[in-house]
Amino acid sequence: MVGKKYKQLHQLLDQYLTSYDIGKSYDFDQITLEINKEDLYEICNILKETEQLDFSMLIDLCGIDYLHYGLDNWKTQDVSSTGYSRATLKTENTPEEYENDQPKRFAVIYHLLSINHNWRIRLRTFTGKENPPNIDSVVSIWPTANWFEREAFDLFGIDFESHPDLRRILTDYEFIGHPFRKDFPTSGNLEVYFDEEEEKVKYRPVSITTRPTVPRVIRKDKRNK
Amino acid sequence: MAKGCFRVGLAKEQNNLIDQQGPGFVITSIDKLANWARTGSMWPVTFGLACCAIEMMHSAASRYDTDRFGVFYRASPRQSDVMIVAGTLVNKMAPALRKVYDQMAEPKWVISMGSCANGGGYYHHSYSVVRGCDQIIPVDIYVPGCPPTPEALINGIIELQKKIKKRG
Amino acid sequence: MTDKNSLILNFGPQHPAAHGVLRMVMEMDGEVVINADPHIGLLHRGTEKLAEIKPYNHSIGYMDRLDYVSMMCCEHPYVLAIEKLLGIEPPVRAQYIRVLFDEITRILNHLLWLGCHGLDIGAMALLLYCFREREDLLDCYEAVSGSRMHATYYRPGGVYRDLPDEMPQYQANRFISKSKVKKLNYNRQGSLLDFIEDFTNRFPARIDEYETLLTDNRMWKQRTVDIGIVSPERAIALGFTGPMLRGSGIEWDIRRKEPYEVYDQLNFKIPVGVNGDCYDRYLVRVEEMRQSNSIIKQCIAWLRDNPGPVIIDDNKLTTPKRSLMKHDMEALIYHFKLFSEGYTVPEGETYTSIEHPKGEFGVYIVSDGANKPYRLKIRTPSFVHLSAINEMVKGHMVADVVSVIGTLDIVFGEIDR
Repeated sequence: MVGKKYKQLHQLLDQYLTSYDIGKSYDFDQITLEINKEDLYEICNILKETEQLDFSMLIDLCGIDYLHYGLDNWKTQDVSSTGYSRATLKTENTPEEYENDQPKRFAVIYHLLSINHNWRIRLRTFTGKENPPNIDSVVSIWPTANWFEREAFDLFGIDFESHPDLRRILTDYEFIGHPFRKDFPTSGNLEVYFDEEEEKVKYRPVSITTRPTVPRVIRKDKRNK
Repeated sequence: MAKGCFRVGLAKEQNNLIDQQGPGFVITSIDKLANWARTGSMWPVTFGLACCAIEMMHSAASRYDTDRFGVFYRASPRQSDVMIVAGTLVNKMAPALRKVYDQMAEPKWVISMGSCANGGGYYHHSYSVVRGCDQIIPVDIYVPGCPPTPEALINGIIELQKKIKKRG
Repeated sequence: MTDKNSLILNFGPQHPAAHGVLRMVMEMDGEVVINADPHIGLLHRGTEKLAEIKPYNHSIGYMDRLDYVSMMCCEHPYVLAIEKLLGIEPPVRAQYIRVLFDEITRILNHLLWLGCHGLDIGAMALLLYCFREREDLLDCYEAVSGSRMHATYYRPGGVYRDLPDEMPQYQANRFISKSKVKKLNYNRQGSLLDFIEDFTNRFPARIDEYETLLTDNRMWKQRTVDIGIVSPERAIALGFTGPMLRGSGIEWDIRRKEPYEVYDQLNFKIPVGVNGDCYDRYLVRVEEMRQSNSIIKQCIAWLRDNPGPVIIDDNKLTTPKRSLMKHDMEALIYHFKLFSEGYTVPEGETYTSIEHPKGEFGVYIVSDGANKPYRLKIRTPSFVHLSAINEMVKGHMVADVVSVIGTLDIVFGEIDR
C-alpha cells in the first residue's frame, strides 16, 4: 500500500520523532501526523533542520472548524414509522457531540514540502479547549507562515502567539466575527449601502436569507467502491 | 469692454423665463449637438475589479476595438465621464468605489458590467459581497453576462449612447 | 518605525498599474521605499465558505473565477482532488485533452502577463499584440465549452464533452465582403484540432517578435535587470513556486517532479533562471510559452490518432447522455439523483496541487462523506508571492515597485478568493 518513496519517509519519521506522542495515518498517498500543541514548535524545527527530512518549504497553513463534522440535513440510513424522511432545511436537534466547547473543535493544518527529497507531509494540531483558541506561531521557522496565520486568525479566530503582526487580512476593516466558523451564517450579519442624507457608505443588518436548495446528505453505502 | 469683445451667457433675470417657457428651438438644437458630442467620446475610468475587467480589456484590444467608438480608457476619474464597474463589488471596496464616483465631474454615467455588479451574481449569498453596485452608486445601464462578451459590452455602450441622445 | 521625515503614500485600490484591487501603503524616504504594506481583501468573496453549501460540481465554476486569466488550470486541481477521494481515474483521452487545455491556459496566462507587464513598464504596443493571440485561444475555449472565459469544462471523471469537429465561422455582412471573410476563415475550415495546430505553427514567430521588441532592448533591461532580486534560499523560505522559484535558479516543476495526467509521457524542457531578478523571470516565462507550444503539438498528434471516451462511464458520478435520459429509466433516475442531490464523496482529506502558470496551485478538501465539501482550502501562488513584496521592494524606487508587482504575476481573484 505504501509507495516506495514514502516507506523511507515513514522510517525516518519513526527514527527522529520517537520521543513525541504523535498519531500517524496514510491515505491517498499522503502522510498525516497528528501532533500535540505543546510539541508543535519543536517538531517543526526537527522537520525543517534535519537534513534527511529537510522540509524546507511550508506550502499551506489553514484553519479548520470541526463543529459540524458529520452533520447532515436528511436521514438516509434508517426509516421511521411514518416512512422515509424528506430533506429538511435544518436539523431539529444538534447532537451533543457538536456542542460548542468540544476540545477538538479547531485545528490548524500544515502542508510541508521538501524540495531536495521530493516528498510532502501534512501536520494536524488541535488547539485545545481554550477560548479563543491559540497555538504557537511558526513564522520564525518558515517566513511564509506570516500571511497564512493572519488569514487563519481572520477567518477562524485562532490566536498565534509570537506572531509579529497579527491583524485582519481578508475581511473588511472593522469586521466583527470570524466568517469561516461553522456558526457564522453564510450571508453574514451586516451589509453595505449608501446613505443619501449623510452621503456615506454605511452598514445595516442583512436583508436576505440563504435558503439551501440542495440538502446536505451523507451516504455511507460504499456506492462508489 | 475692449474692442472686438462681446459678452455671452444668460443674464440671471432671463433664467426663469426659459424654465417657464421651456427651451426654445435654438437651445434644443444646441442640446442635441452637445449630447451627440458627448456620446461620440465617452471616456471611461478604469475600474476593473475582477474577471469582467479582462473582458473589458479584450473589448479595448484589437478585435473588438472600442476606440473606434471614441471610448478611450483614462486612469483618473477627474478626466472621465463614464465608469464601467466591471467585477464583484466587495464590502471593503465599496467606500473606494463611492469616492471614485464622487470625484467624477458632471455629466457622468455608470455602466454596471457583469452579473456580480448587477446584483451580486454568482456570489450573491456571500457575507462580504455587495449585492449589486446600485446599492452604492446610481446605475444607468446594466450589461448581463458572466462575463459579458466584448460584444455585449459594446452593445451596452451603444445603449448608453442612445440613452444620452434621448435624455441628455 | 515611522521616521518623521518619511512620506506615507497610498498606492490606492484604483490604479492602472495595480493589477486589480491592490492597496499598498508605502512608507518612503523621497523616491526610495522603506516599507510596503499591502492591504488585500478588496476582492474577498468568500469562495471557500460558499463552496461548503454547494454540491461538488457546482463549485467548479468558482474555481474558474479565482485566477480569471488562467481558468482551466484552476479547475484542474479541484477536479483531481475529487477524483482522488472518489478513487477514479479519467480515460486517457480526457487526460490528453486536459493537458492540451492546461498548456493553452499557460500560454493565455503568460500572454496576458507579458502584455500587462509591458504596459506597466511602458511598452504599450505589446498589449495589443498579446491580446490578439489571446483572442484565438479564447476561441478555442468557446468552441469546446461555450464560454470564452469561464469554461467549467473539467469534471470529476474526465471532461464534459469531446472536441468539436467544426469551428464557428465569420459571416459576410454589409461591412465585410465575402473575400475578406474567406481570408478570415482560412484556419477554421477543419476541426478544433486543425485550428489549434495552425495556431502552434504561427505562434513561435510571434514570440520571436516579442523577444525582438524586449529581450535586447536597453530600456527594458534597465527597468528589469537587478530589480527584485531573490536568492534561492530566500525564495524557498518565502514559499515561492513556479516561475518565481525557477527564476532564482531552483529546478522545481511539479510536471516533472510529481507528474500528473500524462506529463510523464511528453517531451518538454524546463527553463531555469540564474540571477533571480525580473529579467530572468521574464526570460523563464517567455521560454515556457515556447515549451507549451511544443507540448500542445504533441497532444494534438496523439488526440488525432486516438479517439475514445472523454469521461468515465459510471453514471453514479457523471451524467448520462441527455438523449438517453429521455427514454431510458435508469438514465432518468441517475440524472435526477445527480442533479437534485449530487454524488457523495467518501470520508477523507486530500491535498492536490498542479503546476499552475503562476506557481503551485493546490486544493485541500476535507470530506465527511457528504455531497458537499466540509472544508475547501485553496492554496494560491499569488497569495504567497504578494506576501513577499515588502522584502523585494525595500530600497527600490517607486517605479521599480511597479516592475516588481508585474513580475510577481498576481491576480486578485486568487489572492483574496
